[in-house]
Amino acid sequence: MFWHNLKYNLMFLFKNKNLIFWTFAFPIIMATLFNLAFSDIEKNEQLNKFNIAIVDNTEYQNDEVLKTTFQKLEKDIFDIEYTNIEKAKELLEEKEIVGYLEKKENNINININKNGIEETIFKYVVDEIMIINSVSKDLINDEIASNNQINYEEIYQRVLNKINEEIKLNDTSPSNLSYTMIEYYTLIAMTCLYGGIIGMTSTNNMLANMSKKGSRVAVSPIKKSKLLLSSTIASYIVEIIGVALLFLYTIFVIGVDYGDKIFPVILIALIGSLAGLTFGIAIATLIKKNETTKVGIIISITMICSFLSGMMGITMKYIVDKNFRILNLINPTSMITDGLYSLYYYPTMERYWFNIISLLIFSTVMILVSLVELRRQKYDSI
Amino acid sequence: MTVFKYFFKVMKEYKWTIVLYTVLLVGFAGFNLQTSDNSTNFMASKPDILVIDNDNSKLSKNLESYLKENANLKELENNEEKINDALFYRDVSLIIEIPKGYSNGIINNDKKDIVIKSTGDKEAEYGKMLLERYLKISNVYEDIKNEDLIINKINKQLESSVQVTIKSKLNTTELDKMAFFYNFANYSLLAGCVFVISTVLNSFKTKEIKKRTVVSSYNYKKYNSNLFKAGTIFGIVLWLLYLLISVILLGSSMITLHGLLFAINSFVFMICATQIAFLMGNLINNKEALNSVVNIIALGSSFLCGAFVPMQFLPDSVLKIAHILPSYWFIKNNEFIKELEVINVQTLEPYITNIIIIIIFILIIQIVTNIISKKKRKFD
Amino acid sequence: MKKVIEVKNLTKKYKELKAVNGLSFDVYENEILGLLGPNGSGKSTTINCLLSLLNFDEGKIEILGKEMTPDLYEIKRKIGVVFQEVAVFDELTVYENIDYFCGLYIENKEKRKKYVKDALQLVKLEEFLNFKPKQLSGGLLRRLNIACGIAHKPEIIFLDEPTVAVDPQSRNNILDGIKKLRKDGATIIYTTHYMEEVELICDRIIILDKGKVIAEGTKEELKELTGIEEKVTIEINDLNESHIEEIYKLPNVKTVEYEGEKLVITYGKGKNNFSKLLDYLKKEEIYYNKIYSERPTLNDVFLELTGKELRD
Repeated sequence: MFWHNLKYNLMFLFKNKNLIFWTFAFPIIMATLFNLAFSDIEKNEQLNKFNIAIVDNTEYQNDEVLKTTFQKLEKDIFDIEYTNIEKAKELLEEKEIVGYLEKKENNINININKNGIEETIFKYVVDEIMIINSVSKDLINDEIASNNQINYEEIYQRVLNKINEEIKLNDTSPSNLSYTMIEYYTLIAMTCLYGGIIGMTSTNNMLANMSKKGSRVAVSPIKKSKLLLSSTIASYIVEIIGVALLFLYTIFVIGVDYGDKIFPVILIALIGSLAGLTFGIAIATLIKKNETTKVGIIISITMICSFLSGMMGITMKYIVDKNFRILNLINPTSMITDGLYSLYYYPTMERYWFNIISLLIFSTVMILVSLVELRRQKYDSI
Repeated sequence: MTVFKYFFKVMKEYKWTIVLYTVLLVGFAGFNLQTSDNSTNFMASKPDILVIDNDNSKLSKNLESYLKENANLKELENNEEKINDALFYRDVSLIIEIPKGYSNGIINNDKKDIVIKSTGDKEAEYGKMLLERYLKISNVYEDIKNEDLIINKINKQLESSVQVTIKSKLNTTELDKMAFFYNFANYSLLAGCVFVISTVLNSFKTKEIKKRTVVSSYNYKKYNSNLFKAGTIFGIVLWLLYLLISVILLGSSMITLHGLLFAINSFVFMICATQIAFLMGNLINNKEALNSVVNIIALGSSFLCGAFVPMQFLPDSVLKIAHILPSYWFIKNNEFIKELEVINVQTLEPYITNIIIIIIFILIIQIVTNIISKKKRKFD
Repeated sequence: MKKVIEVKNLTKKYKELKAVNGLSFDVYENEILGLLGPNGSGKSTTINCLLSLLNFDEGKIEILGKEMTPDLYEIKRKIGVVFQEVAVFDELTVYENIDYFCGLYIENKEKRKKYVKDALQLVKLEEFLNFKPKQLSGGLLRRLNIACGIAHKPEIIFLDEPTVAVDPQSRNNILDGIKKLRKDGATIIYTTHYMEEVELICDRIIILDKGKVIAEGTKEELKELTGIEEKVTIEINDLNESHIEEIYKLPNVKTVEYEGEKLVITYGKGKNNFSKLLDYLKKEEIYYNKIYSERPTLNDVFLELTGKELRD
């Protein structure tokens, strides 16, 4: 009887087009959209060359330091247009350039539109030139004070040497810093929770107050617990197939990086699906409304959870973690996302296990709640 | 009036779902705005830096105060995991750890390297440049061997800086926020309108009820236009709600010409969203399938057209595809308003063009809806 | 009598299948016309064509002297339809449903209020005003479905199998309602495959099969077509061939059939057929359990005309 029910449950679930769409196709479509939207973001974060203008007047021509520095920087940082003041103003207005530099009455001036990182770098470079000038002057003054022999050439050279000396920094930046990965992790988490719809559908079929089919089941001479178990297993199988497809798609088509530990990833996928499944069963037993409403509730809760774990803006998860941690401690989507994140980013496993245990607790609570409710049920109205 | 009235009666049956959904969508937008600082802006003029001072000497404190002037120094609990999370999520772009014995090292010719962790992005690179500048100057004067004197010299040199004139008089942070909030409207308005209107419409368009309607003496065009009016009223309510939230959250900056432009733009887009909802309500006969459709339309267009991720970060190929979606023109217009300095008839030309394009979309969708509706009037 | 509907040579094809094949008939004012035929004989298709819900391939349909089109709202106003499927909003209550559909015809609020009340009374749903359709039993739901179709007091009413899967109580209620509507002046076109209902309420009957009219007339006229006057059924345990042959030779006997301990004898015409049969059985000392005589049914008519049962 167990296998019989399992078989028919699987058949029934796979033939439900709408259900299959939610669990299988929808996340894959979303993953594709993410991929389209995010493919350039991280590339864009590196510094690109940008346009500036320099007012090419005699004062500028006479300032050797300024001239040579910009000539040197033209290779890496700036695309420079040498022009007159009117043209420079016009370019700025049309936002063709980030800003322009003008040397007038011994003062260097920068004109920009707004504050921004490129404007800041422009300013930084000019500051740097001025500082070198200032440092040289200072050293010259010191030399004058200590001995009367002044070798300008030598001092200037010394300053330049000091300034150009490689600064030694101990860079301990972690690898695996690609934060758009979070977007895919929330998607996996969302799919796990949507799996709740599968659990809900097959549980509904077993409940006499939810469907005529349920009434039929209720009057059959089979133990309800046995039926529930087999239908739950059937839903779990369907859900895992959906999640597995999404994993394969994100790994092989999109190239999402899940770190290098494969078994923990599989484990969290299995337990995450379990959490989604039990969530769906709990909704099916607790909420005494029609199926459309139940689906609506599952989707709404999943959307809130996904939002809080960063689906509509990656930093949301961090902000919630930092300021309203309790929200994400009870949020299964966040547990799954965080588990995958810790596998990707952290070399140690403590955080991963914390999330796994949280998910197990969540699932247990959902199962207990459903069981209590199921035992209590003697329908007031069918 | 019957059809009009009963549109809302049917809607009343879904009131809790609708209230939940609406609160959720508008809430998302508000919450998103509230929590967005420069971390969601992707770019900031000052890099976010975390300084961990293990030395606590005069020299290390001087370095810290120099960084404080040129960057946003973040305060974080000194907890390895929290710091690593902050780096990953770009709460800080650069972590600078001043080692113990840094000051003594300089005095005693036994320099200790400063430890950094970086995200490798623009901000981090700039932060590193700032740090290097300081260290270079510090190197120049390291032979002095007197903490106070070194500090004195370094600080004097750092004083020289170029004079900067900022041309734009726009309050960019406020405008950024407004554009950010109204870009999110693409998701909220679309999802809200499509979900609610097509759910209700679906009841009116089930095969059996439609048969009854078609054989009745109620003018079919009038029938459709009444449904349309009712749907539009819901759209307007949703839009007003969104507008209200924006005024609450953004305050006086919404009560400006810029705010008005954002409001008009989103109004036109809301009409477009209701049209899309009507198209979907006529096309899709299955209430459950609607959920998927709503999500794909709302989330899909939001990702492709830059509602969540700023347009300038989207690949060109994606933006080219996005041209065929009304959302693109709506968001493009928000971005335009954000940068708009002088508001007059000439400068508003691109704004009006974008609005006209959205209106063309509205008309096209309306025509398609009418054709489909007419086709479905007869049964096979 | 005034012609209300005129159908000429109506043909509707679904690919190769001719669902309606050159159908012609008229409907007269204030009659109840029964369209009778087995499942798939083209009854619903015909009605849907009449209402211009369906495009048809050939033929002409005139209602109240006008050719029917989808935009002929003045005519549509005078028509009420009760479809086979229950067509109501699950979201609205019984009252709201009737009010909504009535509102598609009647703008005036006061008038509508009265009409909705009348409709509720007609189908006896007054006690269920604020129930949602999902809370109604099958029969009550059917009654709601009818109320929604006729609340605006139409002159012409189409009822497409309104009693399918309905309990006897609701069925009687529905049939009474239909009779009352006719009394109030409506013309009714009634399709069904329950011949008992047709016999009970229809003035005139059209029998359809495979999209064609195979017979038309009052029930008496139709029954005459069979040439049968009386039908006697007897339950007898054993009967041999010679008995059957002798019974066949009795006066007026048309056919004799003996199958499964049931003897069915039909008579063409005549009087005292029944007593003559009883005399014979007594004489031959044949014992029987049950014996009854009936008039021929429309099923017999259908059987006679097509060689098959109306209901399979």
